[in-house]
Amino acid sequence: MAKGFYTDTTACIGCKACQVACHQWNNIPAEDGGRRDLTGDSYDNTGRLSALDWRHVKFIEQFPDDRQQDGFLKGSRWLMMSDTCKHCVQAPCLEVCPTGAIIRTEFDSVFIQQDVCNGCRACVSACPFGVVDTGPDGKAHKCTLCYDRLQHGQEPACAQACPTDSIRFGDVDELMTYADQRVANLRAQGVDAYVYGKEDILGGLNSFYVLVDKPNVYGLPENPQMASANVAEGFAISTVAAAAVAVTGIAAFRKHRMDEIAAAESPAPTPEPPANESSDA
Amino acid sequence: MPNAPHWGWFIILYFFIGGIAAGLYFIGTLALLGGDPRDRPVTRFCYLATFPLVLACGFLLTIDLGKPLRFWHMLIQSERIPLPMLKYWAPMSLGSWVLGIFAIFSGVAFLGALIDSGRVTAERATRLVAWGRARPRAIKLTWSLIGISFALFFGGYTGVLLVGTNVPLWHNAQLLGAVFLLSAASTAYALLVLVLRRRDDRESMVSLRKLETADRWIIALELLAIVIMLVTLGSFARPLITGGFGVLFWIGVVGIGLLFPLLLPSLRSGTLSRRPTLGATCVLAGGLLLRFVVIMAPQWPNIALWKL
Repeated sequence: MAKGFYTDTTACIGCKACQVACHQWNNIPAEDGGRRDLTGDSYDNTGRLSALDWRHVKFIEQFPDDRQQDGFLKGSRWLMMSDTCKHCVQAPCLEVCPTGAIIRTEFDSVFIQQDVCNGCRACVSACPFGVVDTGPDGKAHKCTLCYDRLQHGQEPACAQACPTDSIRFGDVDELMTYADQRVANLRAQGVDAYVYGKEDILGGLNSFYVLVDKPNVYGLPENPQMASANVAEGFAISTVAAAAVAVTGIAAFRKHRMDEIAAAESPAPTPEPPANESSDA
Repeated sequence: MPNAPHWGWFIILYFFIGGIAAGLYFIGTLALLGGDPRDRPVTRFCYLATFPLVLACGFLLTIDLGKPLRFWHMLIQSERIPLPMLKYWAPMSLGSWVLGIFAIFSGVAFLGALIDSGRVTAERATRLVAWGRARPRAIKLTWSLIGISFALFFGGYTGVLLVGTNVPLWHNAQLLGAVFLLSAASTAYALLVLVLRRRDDRESMVSLRKLETADRWIIALELLAIVIMLVTLGSFARPLITGGFGVLFWIGVVGIGLLFPLLLPSLRSGTLSRRPTLGATCVLAGGLLLRFVVIMAPQWPNIALWKL
C-alpha cells in the first residue's frame, strides 16, 4: 500500500514545526551553521528545498497594490504551504539515476541510497519540483519519507509535529478520499480549492496538496514532465545529424578526388595552386 | 524548476574535448577508408590524439562526481557485483557505457597508429596489430563502421543528456544533440586544419583542402540547426539569447565561431587572408563557448561562472 502525505495548505499556519522536526529527526545541520541571512521574503528563512532543508514552508503574501481599497486587507490573503518531496508515482529522479542509488521502497516512496549515490547530479537536474540537491558531502539528498520511522511503524516526523494536521500521513488512497471531501467542503464555502497531484501529474504524487490558487503561485509547475520525455526525439534528430556528418565527410573527400580526375583529364592543364591559397577550397 | 545541478567547467571541457575526440576518430577513419595514401598522416594524427582525449574525458567525468571513487557505480551495480548497471533510456547511463566502449575502439586505433609511427616496437603489440590487419576486409570495414557509430553517438549524446533533464532550456531543445554533434565534427576538422597548416608540406595541403571543404559544410549545417533549435525553443531560449549570455552567444558563438569562419574564405581582405589559421581558431573557440553558454546560462546565477 502506497504511503504518503496529504498537505492541506488551508490549514497551514506557518509555524515551521515540520521544518524543525525534519532537521531534528534526520540530524540535518543548518546551512552555514545557522549563520545565514534572513531572506527578507516574509517569514521564510530557508528560501527553498535543498540538501539541508527537506521541508520548506513557503509564505505567499497576496495584497492589492492599494491596501485601503474596499477596506483594509479586504481581498488580501496570506498563503502558506509546507513543501517537500512529492514521491512521484513516475519519478523523474529515479528514472534518470545512472547508479541505481534512487529506488522505490516497499512504501512506494522514493529513496536515495546514500551508500550508492556517487554525486553525478542527474537527479538534481531531473526533478521538476526543485527538490533534490547535493549536499556538502557531495551526494544527493532529499526527504526520505522518514523511511527509518516507517520501518518501525511510526509516521514521519513532520506529520507528527504538525499542530494543525495540515500535513497528514497515511495510505495515499485514503488520504486522497479525505482531500476530495475537504475540497468539496471548501468549494461549498466559496473557496476555489483543488487537489494538486492526481494521476494527471507524473502518474500521481504520493505527497499531494490542496491548493487555493494556481500551482505557479506556490512555485509548483503546471505540467511537470518526465525528464526523458524528449530524449527519443533528441536521439532521432542526432541520428539525422550523424548521417549529415558522414555524408558531408564522404562528399568532401569524393569531391576532391573528382576535381583531381577532372584536372588530370583536362586538355589544358592548369598549374597547381600555391599551397597558401587553398583555404577557399 | 529543478535546482541547479552545478555542472561547471569539468563538464564544459568534457563536452568540448569529447566532441573533438569523437570528430577526430570519425575523420581518421573516413580518411582511412575514403581517402588516398596522402591522407595517411591525417588518420595517424587522429588516432594518436583520440585515445588520450577519451581518457581525459573519463578523468574529467570522474573528478566532477561528488564521490569520485564511486565512478564505477555508473557501470556496475554496487550491491550486486558484477551485474551491469545500465538504463538505456537515461542518456547519462548510456553515455557512460558508450564512453567505455569508445575507449576500446580508440585504444585499438591508438595502438595501430603507434606501431605505424614506429613509436612502439614491442613484438607482442606488433603481432596483435598485424593479426588484426590480416582479417578479411569485410571484418575490418564492419569494425570501422561500428567504431564510427560509437564515435558519432559519443559526439552527440552530450546534447541529448541535457535534453534528458527538466531544466526548461535544455529539456525543450531537442536539437541540442544535433548541434553538439555538428559542433564536434566542426571543431575536430578545425583542429586538424591547425595541425596541417603547421606542417605546411605538399601532402598536408591535399588533405587540408578536403578538411576545409567538409568543415565549411558542417558549419553551415550547424548554423541551420541552431536557427531551427532557437525557433522551436521559443520563449524557453530566453536564458541563452538574452543578457550577458546572449551577448556571448550571438557575438561569440554565432558571429565569431560560425559566421566569420564560414565567410572568411570569401573575404578578400588582405590582412585576414594572410592568417590561414584564423578561421579554424575561431571555430575551436566558438565550440568551447557554445558549450559554456548552453551549460551555464540556465544555471546562472545559482552557479559561479568559474565553478569547476
